[in-house]
Amino acid sequence: MKIIGLIAVFLCGCLLVYGASDFPGWGDPSSPASTHVSPYYIETTMEFTHVPNIVTSVLADYRGYDTMYETTVIFGAGIACFLLLRVVKKKDPVSRLYRHKATGITLRIKKGGKIPDKSNAFERIDSEWVPYDLIIQISCRLLVPLIQIFALYVIAHGHYSPGGGFQGGVILAASIILIAISYDLRSALKIMSERASAFLSAIGVFIYAGTGALCLLLGANFLDYAALDSLLGSGMVMARSHGILIVEIGVGIAVMAVMICLYYNLSSEGKQDEGL
Amino acid sequence: MNITVSILLFGGLFFFTGGCIGILRFPDFYSRLHPAGKLDTMGLFLSMTALALYSLGGFSIGEILNGIKIMMIVAFVFITSPTATHAIVDAGVRAGFEPWKKHK
Repeated sequence: MKIIGLIAVFLCGCLLVYGASDFPGWGDPSSPASTHVSPYYIETTMEFTHVPNIVTSVLADYRGYDTMYETTVIFGAGIACFLLLRVVKKKDPVSRLYRHKATGITLRIKKGGKIPDKSNAFERIDSEWVPYDLIIQISCRLLVPLIQIFALYVIAHGHYSPGGGFQGGVILAASIILIAISYDLRSALKIMSERASAFLSAIGVFIYAGTGALCLLLGANFLDYAALDSLLGSGMVMARSHGILIVEIGVGIAVMAVMICLYYNLSSEGKQDEGL
Repeated sequence: MNITVSILLFGGLFFFTGGCIGILRFPDFYSRLHPAGKLDTMGLFLSMTALALYSLGGFSIGEILNGIKIMMIVAFVFITSPTATHAIVDAGVRAGFEPWKKHK
């Protein structure tokens, strides 16, 4: 059986090599890919959109539909993970663990038992609790704001250098996930609740599609940012540039919220009660 | 300037090489983390300083900003790399790894 598989893989490889032999050379200026569309982008991007980073202008302006549905796919992934994993019916755990901060004594309080909610002397802990490490917590807390500033920089700087909504959104989500890893899931949920993450993921897609619809209302084609000129008052070319920025912000918000939602559901097996 | 940059780069490469050999040759989990945490940080410090100096061609504002950005990478690695090593060692102790001893 293994030999048959090997032969099949080998034949497929030979077919691929045979098919690839017809490809134009790497970076060939006379290949079809670089004779029709690419020169158009390279020559006219600066003139039409005033965005020096051609990749961003192609991503968010020339192929705006494509990116809009990419964002929708990410949103769909978040919804799918939510529907598959989230345990909607709330089953209270049989018992919960509380730790007395001063002495380190752990109390197991069974269902129906009185929970010391009001006093600050007790803290709730996970069933697989390990003592908090001060070094890790402090350095993570030190880094989180810097990571978030860098994420905003990446989103805002997508016009000029590699970056944009997808990358910046993932970095923003990483800062929240870092808190969830170095503290616990409940502290991350206090900063960004499940409701907020679900809401923001929808808001992000709404900003993108809403910008397109706004262009439609202003009398241009869907996602033709030049129509935003009448609102922004900065000229047709700069309006395209600003439109790309608005859309990138929407993408960033959607990606961040979906990543956080995925992490919450995966790390706690959908219970969002306790987890990493 | 070019000579300084190459000396710093080779120093960085020396530390990186030492880190690689250390990870391969040291006997157990804990001692392997020692070169992984320390020598990489030092190698990165030297090679990034070299790159920052190299990008400081004419001392214009953009070039100085580039140099500062490169040195910020070093600052962040100085914070994060020892923390990561600390966390891994902590996890190793909790998982019950015995430290290596010469005489058993």
